[in-house]
Parts: sequence; structure tokens; C-alpha cells
Amino acid sequence: MSRISNDAEFKQALHNLSPVQQRIVAASFVEHILPLSKDNRLKNITKIALDKDASDDELASALKSAKAATFDSHTRCGSEGNWTDQAGYFVARAIMAALTPLSQSKAGGPAWQAAMHSRIAQTSSLIDSGDVAPTDNQWQYDILSNYLNAK
Amino acid sequence: MSASLQKGINVLKEQVDSTVASFFSSCVNCGMCAEACLFYTETGDPKRTPINKTEPLRRIWKSDYTLLGRIGKMFGLTKSVDEQLLTDWESLVYDSCSMCGRCTMVCPVGNDIALMIRKTREGMAAAGHAPEGLIGATKRAVTIGSPMGVKLPALMAQISHVEKDTGLKIPVDVEGAEYMVLLSSMEIMNFPEFIDAVARIFNKAGVSWTISTEAFEATNSGIQIGVSDIAKILVQRVVDAAEKLKVKTVISPECGHAYMAIRWEGPNLVGKKFNFKVRHILEVLDEFRKDGRLKITGKETQKLTYHDPCQIARRGGVIEQPRNLIGMFSDNFVEMPDNGKMNWCCGAGGGVSSNERADEIRLKVFQRKKDQLDEIKPEAIVSACSNCRIHLEEGLEEYNMDIPLLSLTETLAEHLADD
Repeated sequence: MSRISNDAEFKQALHNLSPVQQRIVAASFVEHILPLSKDNRLKNITKIALDKDASDDELASALKSAKAATFDSHTRCGSEGNWTDQAGYFVARAIMAALTPLSQSKAGGPAWQAAMHSRIAQTSSLIDSGDVAPTDNQWQYDILSNYLNAK
Repeated sequence: MSASLQKGINVLKEQVDSTVASFFSSCVNCGMCAEACLFYTETGDPKRTPINKTEPLRRIWKSDYTLLGRIGKMFGLTKSVDEQLLTDWESLVYDSCSMCGRCTMVCPVGNDIALMIRKTREGMAAAGHAPEGLIGATKRAVTIGSPMGVKLPALMAQISHVEKDTGLKIPVDVEGAEYMVLLSSMEIMNFPEFIDAVARIFNKAGVSWTISTEAFEATNSGIQIGVSDIAKILVQRVVDAAEKLKVKTVISPECGHAYMAIRWEGPNLVGKKFNFKVRHILEVLDEFRKDGRLKITGKETQKLTYHDPCQIARRGGVIEQPRNLIGMFSDNFVEMPDNGKMNWCCGAGGGVSSNERADEIRLKVFQRKKDQLDEIKPEAIVSACSNCRIHLEEGLEEYNMDIPLLSLTETLAEHLADD
């Protein structure tokens, strides 16, 4: 199978995945950026999201934990923002997106949303150092290509 | 008397004009404002009644601007404003008031109690009695241009993401654009998808718009802390940018106090009429709806309700527009009790959210919002203020309520029909 090389192919390929496949691919994106978060809860949440056999109860519980991690890591209104910490917020949002049921997901679906939040997390981690050039998204294309090829 | 206390007293004296004097003269101590304030109703603490929060200003009015007060002052019988009073009142004026204005609505003699508290803040801030969080936010707003320290490269990074996500070019510093969109730092940091939504909606609507690199911040910490000189500086930045780009309309984003600051206080602060219009994003979107510029597809299936942000609805008059817009994507909408202009505040406006000392009380008074929600049991809440949104999410988490929060603008963008 050919490799994905741009966002149009990427988005379309994600769109064609089943809900469970979307969740697993989304969680794979999050797994890649987990080091950007200091929240240990996210590791376990991601592990559940990656499990194709996870039960509905496990997924609901993981989503609840992901929401809590998101609330705990946002920058409060008026407080001084720290973009390195903010990267952790977007990691939490990425895994929250991954676990959100397709019917409740925002445009593009859970995997696309997780991909976008993962990219913002990467960029956020670089802002304080002054290096804000858009990040290379090839790693996401590779994760998805490898997943599709392994099916 | 310390120099800061003297400064505070002088500023309080400057706040007493004929309006304030008539308000204090006409207050009949009926207590109706108390029952309208969630910081009183949810704590039962009489110190937290709205009119009591104005005590430092009232004392100045009485001692310096009334005959009996002046005579009393000569004999040392009139209560004065001292350091202890300001220390005791700091938490009442800043932690226990979100400037929501509900008290003003119920005052039987028409006193604008929220305005009186706002004026009290002027003196408190001048005397150095403002919360650290708000002081920090205000300093950053002046020196960096954002209360949260968001600099232009960070905004450009978010814009770059949005451009990749949407495939649309985000217009920056475009002279002659019809609309100049302001953003809150909350949107740039926590909810960049708002920019995404605006880009998609405005593209579909076929209107020209831009973001100014010289004045992208919508919020005004000067208003919240109560320092009009700083509020004026922040408004002037927007005015300068709008005039430089020759835009017709400046759009305040999904932020409550930003709208009040630029639209209602702005011209008075800078001392002149704007040569552009100021509109809240919901007003503009509703104009698009009326003009047939918004083509919507699909409906939200869950039962929705709408949280009216105080500064947008009660103090801004934007009440029908959000309901018109929600009607485009929902047939399953239920109003909260006391909705619209009498809606209850989320509890985090007016600088309360940036004041860590107020965390406990703002979550305690969320009980009022919980009661409203329990009555109608919505499956999702729509709102149009990032600060309300974050605080509602925190409050729901605190009270173990699993109800998703939706941005109205973002939800509308989700339902845009393809061409």
C-alpha cells in the first residue's frame, strides 16, 4: 500500500477508519507525544485507548479521566501562560478527542481531532524557546500508513 | 497614613460624582440586591451582599460629600476609610463579585450597584488592595499585550495550525477588511479551534476579515481590576489598529467582559466616538443568518441549553441572537430558569477566575448554576464566553455532572453545509 504524504490523504484515510480503528490510531498519535505531558494519568488512559478490546466501561472511565486531566492542565483565564505546560494540556485534549465517541466528536472525527491537538501540543512545546515554525507532520502520516499496512 | 492609602482615598473621592451620590442617597437598604447575588445566596454571608461591597466608597461619599458626614468628621464621629477597611473589603470586592450586574437589575430605586462596585475597585486598586493574579494579568496586558502573556509568535503558530487544518488563509493585517476580529488569550491558548471556526464561517459567508498583529487581544484587565487609565490604554490599542486598517467593524470574540469593555466602556474611556462599529461575534453571526449567508446542515440531537454570559446578555443585550443561531442546528433546546438578562452568573467573571484566592468560593457558588441545570437536565450546554466555558467545565467536574460544554461559534461551524 502506498504511503500517506499529505493532509488530504491523511484526513481521508482517517475518515475511512471504523470508530475502534480511529480510537487506536488517535491513541497512537498521543503515545508519540506523551513525553510532552507531566500528567502520569495520561499514560494509563492512552494504554486503554490503544486496547482494541477495551470494554465500554473502561473507555467511559478513561474518557472521564481524560476530561479531568484536561481541566487540570488548562491555563486559567488571566494567569501567565507557560507554553511548555500548555503542551500538556493539548496532549490531554488529544487523548480526550481519541476517546470521544464518534457521534459526539467534532469535525473530522476523533482521530483527526487527536491529530490536530497533537500537532498543537508539539508546537506549544516549542513556543517558549522561540522556535515556532510549523512542525513536520510526517510522523503522523507514518503512524497511519504503518497501521493501514499492518491491517 | 501611608501614601498608597492616601492615593486610594483620593481615587475613591474622584469616583463620587452626582450619579454615585444619588445612588447612595436613594438606597433604602431593602436587601433585594442580596437575593440577586449568588455570592450571598450561596453563602448566606451578609458581608457579601452587593451594597455592602461598596462600603469604602460609601464612607467617602458620606464623610466628604454629605453635610451630616462632614459635621461628623469634624468631631471624629464619621467612619473613615483606613487600611484595615480596605484589607477586609479586598476579598469582598474582588473575590465575591463577578461584576455580573444582576444586583443592578433588581434594585427598586434603579441604583447601578455593579457600577458602584466597579468604582470601589478603582480606589482599592490605587491603594494596592487588588488580588495578585489580577495585578499580574494587568501588568502583562500593558507590557506584553495579553493578560496571559501571549505574544505574536504564539498567535502566528496557532494561525499556522488553523490554516493547515482548514486549508484557508487567515488574513492578517489586511487593510480595508470589513471586519477586524479580536481574540481573547483564552482562545489562543486553550481554544484555538475558535479561530478555526471563525475562519470557516467567514469564508462561507464570503466576507472580508482580518486579525491585527498590533492589537489582537480583546480582553481588558484594566476594567476588571478597576484602573481606568490602563483600561483606556488597552482600548486605544484596538482603536489605533482598527483605524490603521480602516475596518468597518471590530468583532469582540466569545468573551464576556471584552465585549462590555470595548463596546460600552470603550468610547467613554478614550473620550471619543469610534469611527467603526463594535459587535459581538454572535451579533455578526446572526446578521449573517438574517442575510442568508449561513447554510447549515444537520442538527444536534442532544437536549441543549444556553448559558447567557452576563456581560453579553445582561449588560450587553445580546439575548435573541444566540437563540436564533442555536435554532439553526437544534430542535431540542430548553431554556434555563432565569435565562436571558436575569441568568445567574457562572461565578468566575469580573476577574474572579484569575484570582486564585477565590477558587474555593467560585466553586461553592456554582451550586446556583447546578440548581438551574438540575431543573432542566440538559445533555449539553452551549455558551459564548471562554471564561464561562472553562469555569462551567470546572464546576460540572466539581459537582460530578457529566454535561459537555459547546462553544456556539464552534458548533455553528461544525454544521456549515458544503457548497
